[in-house]
Amino acid sequence: MVKETTLKNCTSKLRKKKKINKFWQKLKRQKELQIMAWAGIIWMIIFNYIPMYGIIIAFKDYSIIKPISEAPWVGLEHFVEFFKDENFYMVIRNTLGISLLKLIIGFPLPIIFAILLNEIRHIGFKRTVQTISYLPHFLSWVVLGGIMINWLSETGIINELLIKFGVLDKPITFLSEPKYFWGIAVISDIWKELGWSAIIYLAAISGIDPELYEAATMDGAGRLAKIKYITIPCIQGTIAVLFILAVGNLLNTNFDQIFVLRNSLNQSMSEVIDIYVYRIGIQSARFSYATAVGLFKSVIALILLIIANFVTKKLKGNSLF
Amino acid sequence: MKNIFKRTGIFVMIIIMITSLLSGCGKTTEETISNENSNMESQDESNKEMVSADTPGWKEDTSPITFDWYLNFSWFANQWGGDETSKYITEKTGVNINFIVPAGNEAEKLNTMIVSDTLPDFITLGWWESQVDTMIEGGLVYPLNELADKYDPYFYTVADPARLGWYTEEDGNVYGYPNASYSPSDYEKYDIYSNQTFLVRKDMYEAIGSPDMRTPEGFLDALRKAKEMFPEVNGQPLIPFGAHEFTDTGNYSFETYLQNFLAIPREKDGKLYDRTTDPEYIRWLKVFRQANEEGLIAKDIFVDKRAQMEEKITQGRYFCMLYQNWDMQAPQKALYSKDPNSVYIAVPGPANSNLDDPTLDGGGIAGWTITMISKNCKDPERAIKFLSYLMSEEGQKDVFLGPKGVTYDTIDGKDQLKPEVKELLSQDRSAFDKMYGCDNTYWMLMDLGIQSQWTPELEEPLRQPQEWTKPYVQFVGQYDNITPPTDSEEGIILSKIQNKWGTILPQLILAESEEEFDAIFNEFLQYREEQGYEKVVEYMQKKVDENKEKLGIK
Amino acid sequence: MINAFKRKDKKEIIFDIFNTCLMIFICFITLYPIWYTLVLSFNDGTDAMLGGIYWWPRKFSLESYKAVFQNIGIIKAFGVTIARTVIGTVTNVLFTAMVAYAFSKKDLVGRKVYLTIGIITMFFNGGLIPNFLLMKNLGLLDSFWVYIFPTMFNFFNLIIFVSFFKEIPKALEESVMIDGANHFVIFWKIILPLSAPVIATIALFTGVFHWNDYFFGVIYINNPDLQPIQTYLYKVIAQATSNQMLMNAPGGISKANITSTSIKLATMVITTFPIVCVYPFLQKYFVKGMLLGSVKG
Repeated sequence: MVKETTLKNCTSKLRKKKKINKFWQKLKRQKELQIMAWAGIIWMIIFNYIPMYGIIIAFKDYSIIKPISEAPWVGLEHFVEFFKDENFYMVIRNTLGISLLKLIIGFPLPIIFAILLNEIRHIGFKRTVQTISYLPHFLSWVVLGGIMINWLSETGIINELLIKFGVLDKPITFLSEPKYFWGIAVISDIWKELGWSAIIYLAAISGIDPELYEAATMDGAGRLAKIKYITIPCIQGTIAVLFILAVGNLLNTNFDQIFVLRNSLNQSMSEVIDIYVYRIGIQSARFSYATAVGLFKSVIALILLIIANFVTKKLKGNSLF
Repeated sequence: MKNIFKRTGIFVMIIIMITSLLSGCGKTTEETISNENSNMESQDESNKEMVSADTPGWKEDTSPITFDWYLNFSWFANQWGGDETSKYITEKTGVNINFIVPAGNEAEKLNTMIVSDTLPDFITLGWWESQVDTMIEGGLVYPLNELADKYDPYFYTVADPARLGWYTEEDGNVYGYPNASYSPSDYEKYDIYSNQTFLVRKDMYEAIGSPDMRTPEGFLDALRKAKEMFPEVNGQPLIPFGAHEFTDTGNYSFETYLQNFLAIPREKDGKLYDRTTDPEYIRWLKVFRQANEEGLIAKDIFVDKRAQMEEKITQGRYFCMLYQNWDMQAPQKALYSKDPNSVYIAVPGPANSNLDDPTLDGGGIAGWTITMISKNCKDPERAIKFLSYLMSEEGQKDVFLGPKGVTYDTIDGKDQLKPEVKELLSQDRSAFDKMYGCDNTYWMLMDLGIQSQWTPELEEPLRQPQEWTKPYVQFVGQYDNITPPTDSEEGIILSKIQNKWGTILPQLILAESEEEFDAIFNEFLQYREEQGYEKVVEYMQKKVDENKEKLGIK
Repeated sequence: MINAFKRKDKKEIIFDIFNTCLMIFICFITLYPIWYTLVLSFNDGTDAMLGGIYWWPRKFSLESYKAVFQNIGIIKAFGVTIARTVIGTVTNVLFTAMVAYAFSKKDLVGRKVYLTIGIITMFFNGGLIPNFLLMKNLGLLDSFWVYIFPTMFNFFNLIIFVSFFKEIPKALEESVMIDGANHFVIFWKIILPLSAPVIATIALFTGVFHWNDYFFGVIYINNPDLQPIQTYLYKVIAQATSNQMLMNAPGGISKANITSTSIKLATMVITTFPIVCVYPFLQKYFVKGMLLGSVKG
């Protein structure tokens, strides 16, 4: 800037002014849109951003008797304690392990289910399947966990079936073997949420213009071809958005689920971040420590989201922002 | 992209500024708490006339008032006013109660109320909860003695001095009053039982010849025989040995229960004794390891939660258990009605090499819950008077027996529940609570000692296990409340050690050989050392000494 | 030509058969646990503890259901839940959709900053205590509106809305724009009617959230008249996890308050049945061609 001549300076100023003018004109044109957007922003400021000052207790030693402002600063002490914890590696490994499996297997299945369900021609049957498949979502994990403990036990129905079909020679107490835990967590989660997660894809599919299908039929396309060339590309945007969000959620495991299924024998594979925070933070009333671990999780989640957003944008041209 | 972050950064700064303003506001509200104490001083000048300590204060004012009462127990499902007893008490005292009960995580609810200064009139919580100290230190609750001095000297007539002594804080004030508390002298006055028992299924035990299970050999042999004779119960495999649920910090059965049965002392020569490293204890843990090696420990006991255990007790799936007998009353009744011989009975369990009698824990001076009156209380005068009423013999009787003629009568010269009331009590407790509401449905201030005069004889099958414990019960109240606060340095160390133990204990039992057992156990001892266990012991020693002084023991 | 058609037909028939079988299988494995829950809830409580019930109640009994309805105030709690579900869903859908409409415009000034602000809210929150103090300062404690305002907006829903709104043909809006209509009118008259599937979806998500939420009731409400129905369910269910607390309880207490599995399940059936019934009614909005039809009309 300093080296530039005054003339150039003048023109750039002029241009800037013009730009600012244009900006204001544009803003004026979108007056209503801005009002709508700011209604949301103000809501977020009040209900999301104002309470966010609570995050600073991650860097303090907070106890509930005194206000946050009076708690002494401790810097990154809580983070260091978490990273140094002998269970840190195990907790991260289990969290990522379970979450990645859920992402790899649990993410595509509802999409496939929604597409296949859409191919059912009999409307009544279709609706029945749709309704039934979403029912397990409403069973609480506490109750479901109890049922699962029974079914997975040595004398449970699962062992009975597996032995009857010759898969196993002798029964296994599934929940007592750490190696089965991830599998159980992933399968039971898919089973419970399959129909529920498919709803959003069904909605996306029902938004597709039927003329596209009609045109394809005219061209002699079979149903599989139509799925491949019409359905999937049309819901690709929705898939991309949900995929990005799912990646951002990688560090979140289903607390309720893990909580009811874990026990002293499978602990080495079932201890995840959320359980760790619950045990250390809530049970021991160490709020600062729990908040620090939570903050660590949030930061990683945000980074993951940005990466996922970047990658999908590059690959498919779809993104959140 | 960069631009966004820059702009977002500015935005975030604005937010921080706004929030710091708002949190400033929050602070001022918190500061007002301390001022309320002085408000109270001037509040009731009108109440000048001195009431004597003999007249119950609650009788003076029975105008209607509703207190909010927080219970830190999510399972409490009753509502005041729906049943005969609570209606009767409201009619009598004018006090109506709105119970506030959290669902799910109790600590969450209580903590938010503490931080935001929205505690209701009464608070009842377990004495071991960290929030007890928090509320006292934060000045959120009234000293009961101050309220009593001011409004209701009758409080001192009905309060037990030993309990007041136990709950006197360093500042000389008493902030809470316990329920279900026994002082050392109560042990001479009343029949006191323990919850800790070694139970066997009667028919199976007798079928294998009622063996002596006190020695390792006898114990293992009995398990073997039981498994051989009864491989299955109702088509499902027998579980030779049952225990409490394994938690993150271990297992009651394999810790306190076993140690008590082995009569391992809690202290030697005035110093806390490390019960975990006692040779007798290790010897018996190895017996359980051996049992597991022989297939006598089912995987179920590591996996099952409470619901599954209750189901399995009802099915009679366990041969023997180190378990709390009060907790299996419903299953016991179900077993009894099916076949009186299939119930669980208490027999002598694992013992030390000298075959000494077990030493079982009885109720302590700390009791179970304590009740406090918060500084937000809308009418502290009525509150303390109502508290005194509940603590008095009259209140105890009302809570235990309900209104005369409705739920109880004098039958055979003894005040007892009417037969149809008793019938429902034994049939369906929750229906009983909703309809009659006596028999300590409202247990907040129950005094089991006073109530023992109306307590009917227990009936079989519940009677035998209780009676069995009577000779072995010991007062261990001095060891209550000695663990360090969870967020203190010692508390953090202790919780790490306990969590480690939680993972070590199953490994010990599942160890394939004695060598492996020793290696794992040594690993634990080393870990304990490294974490700084001495500091914890030091802290606990200090607390025990204080406790003993309070109780006047030695 | 004809041959090719036939081959295709065959392929399609195989596909149909396979697909139908798969769907029946999925129905079976999802329906069975529900059936199991119903069976146990209609079975006598003590008898159910003996196990071995899989297909049909062994000792049929309505006692568990009776016990649930004996709770004082359960009807009122249903009322609270219905009110918050209806009001909460309507406000959330309308408000979030409106903001999403603005966010869906690519040329919205400041769009990227706004989106960033929103995305941050999905990951960072101040924790329970600051939130509680906020509600206190806003005067929402012990008020019905605590169910509504703090849940009126949801950024996740916004993202879904935006991704759907993007698909709506621009031509339609522009034609109305020329007539001089402002964005509020466009949103109300064009966007909302065209977005039935996504609105049905978000309404379902929000409605189910409101119906199933017990947390707000537990933390922010002390007045029993304002408790939602889920609080009852949660109290009953929480007993399963609070057993350790009872360790210190003296005799006579623990046994009193442990509910049988049958009552737990009956409570669950009663509290979830109404919301489960909503879905079949929403299904008609997932019908193909809504969009097209309205564009043409």
